[in-house]
Amino acid sequence: MKHTIILTFIAALLACLPAHGQQLELGDGTSATITGKAWEALNAKNYANAVAYAKKCVEMYEKQAVEMQKELKDPVTSEREEVAKKWALNDVGTCLFITGQALEKQEKPAEALAAYKQLVEKVSFAQTWDPKGWFWKPADAAKERIKALGFDTLK
Amino acid sequence: MKISLLAPLYLGITLVCATTAAAVGEVKIAKDAKGHFTLLRDGQPYFIRGAGGAEHLALLKEVGGNSIRTWGIETLEKQVNGKRLIDRCAELGISVAAGIWVAHERHGFDYSDSVQLKRQRDAVRAAVRKYKDHPAVLVWGLGNEMEGPMGDGNVPKVWKELNELAAIVKAEDVNHPVMTVIASAASTKVKGILEYYPNVDILGVNAYAGGGGAATAAKAAGWEKPFVLTEFGTAGHWEVPKTKWGAPIEPSSRDKAASYFATQKTMTEEAADISLGSYCFVWGQKQETTSTWYGMFLKSGEKLPQVDAMCRAWTDKWPANRCPRIVRFESELKEAVFPPGKLCVARMEATDPDGDELRWEWTVTAESTDIKVGGDKESEPPSFPEAIVSAEIGEVVIQTPNKPGNYRLFGILRDGKGGASAENFCFRVEAR
Repeated sequence: MKHTIILTFIAALLACLPAHGQQLELGDGTSATITGKAWEALNAKNYANAVAYAKKCVEMYEKQAVEMQKELKDPVTSEREEVAKKWALNDVGTCLFITGQALEKQEKPAEALAAYKQLVEKVSFAQTWDPKGWFWKPADAAKERIKALGFDTLK
Repeated sequence: MKISLLAPLYLGITLVCATTAAAVGEVKIAKDAKGHFTLLRDGQPYFIRGAGGAEHLALLKEVGGNSIRTWGIETLEKQVNGKRLIDRCAELGISVAAGIWVAHERHGFDYSDSVQLKRQRDAVRAAVRKYKDHPAVLVWGLGNEMEGPMGDGNVPKVWKELNELAAIVKAEDVNHPVMTVIASAASTKVKGILEYYPNVDILGVNAYAGGGGAATAAKAAGWEKPFVLTEFGTAGHWEVPKTKWGAPIEPSSRDKAASYFATQKTMTEEAADISLGSYCFVWGQKQETTSTWYGMFLKSGEKLPQVDAMCRAWTDKWPANRCPRIVRFESELKEAVFPPGKLCVARMEATDPDGDELRWEWTVTAESTDIKVGGDKESEPPSFPEAIVSAEIGEVVIQTPNKPGNYRLFGILRDGKGGASAENFCFRVEAR
């Protein structure tokens, strides 16, 4: 019985770790916090961590994000507070973009393309806050990246 | 007798009228069968495949471009092959978004000074009178980033004055739409124009990273009139990661080319309802942060991969001769700090799509300290030829300069047939 409990505990612990074995500090575990950590890792050129955090956020919040997307016909265009109400949509969309960016830096264009396409197809109404004072849409940026990645393979 | 005298007179009048009608070049905004905005130039739909600049005009035409954009009215008088620029454009069948400079507050203009305003209004009126009948004129580019390139664009007095200026243009010329160009499609700017500047016909936006989404952003802010992406290309020097010492890291030549292509395609597809076309930046060479950041050509005249990218975007074909392709540019010196006088190797791996023989040129320059905003003129930083110790095919040995500071190593690749590629990386020298 004791062995079973210990083994179960170890299995649960391992399940919290990402596949590549890096330990993620999820903080309060909210999508905003995890997205922030993904951005930090991307900006610090720690691309493996950026992918790990971003994928974690997507894994945890994609279902809610897709639900929020379904509630909309267009991206929210009103005040910041209204846009922020679609927190899961925004953070999952942002994290898919971060995933694509980090994978590009790791010279994994096919995987980056997959992340961008997932963003465009499932959470295209996501918006990301720029500290300079406006929202931008990661899906728009992803569409450009999809074309840019395609350009590099044109014969 | 009467009839025989009148006949040649009648013929003469008819010929004069025919010549006058042909010279005007009426340009109107209309909607096509899908309800999308389109330009009608002499009655025919016209989509702008444009470039900002006044050089390499024949090549622009060759690779599928059809229009140039200028910023100041005096540029139309620039001598090109013994002709005025505007006449050379007409000769080549290139239309011109004729820029009329509108003063910036950051340069000292006071939008509450009636004397300055009158002087500017008179200048705008004179410019339109001078060129309104030239067949090359496509639209008037009334102002460029006059709201302030870095601010939030909350400048009602500027928008109101532009409304006055546009009214002046329209009083002089009913045959060409008025376009005003702003820096980015920030919501406050678009809303300000909507509220205070109803006389504008076309919104022009300069946007770099994410430029393909600028039209969509304008629409989201309420813009429902026509749109032109008036400057675009690679990510701006303010939009990229920086080294530890704060130097912006210039995108690779492949990334730049991909950006031009992707932006053109994205904008055209995503905003087909309001987009009248675009002007890539810059169809020439310019010192802005570096000597290669924004230019689509080298100073020595060779085209860079961005030109090939636009050719592909405009025509779905590559040009007859393609630029070399830099695969990798690496060195232990790249984005690193080194002591003075240290020997280092840098390697540039490249291929040429046409199999042309390639030649490398290497230059070490100081990091520019003359960084301006809004595209204002910058001086070139000094270069250090003594830093280049030896060079072979695709490889250079450099000796870090004796003077501590920030530097860049440029690798330029030429195919000997008018095509080139260029990349650089930053390094820092610190005494230990």
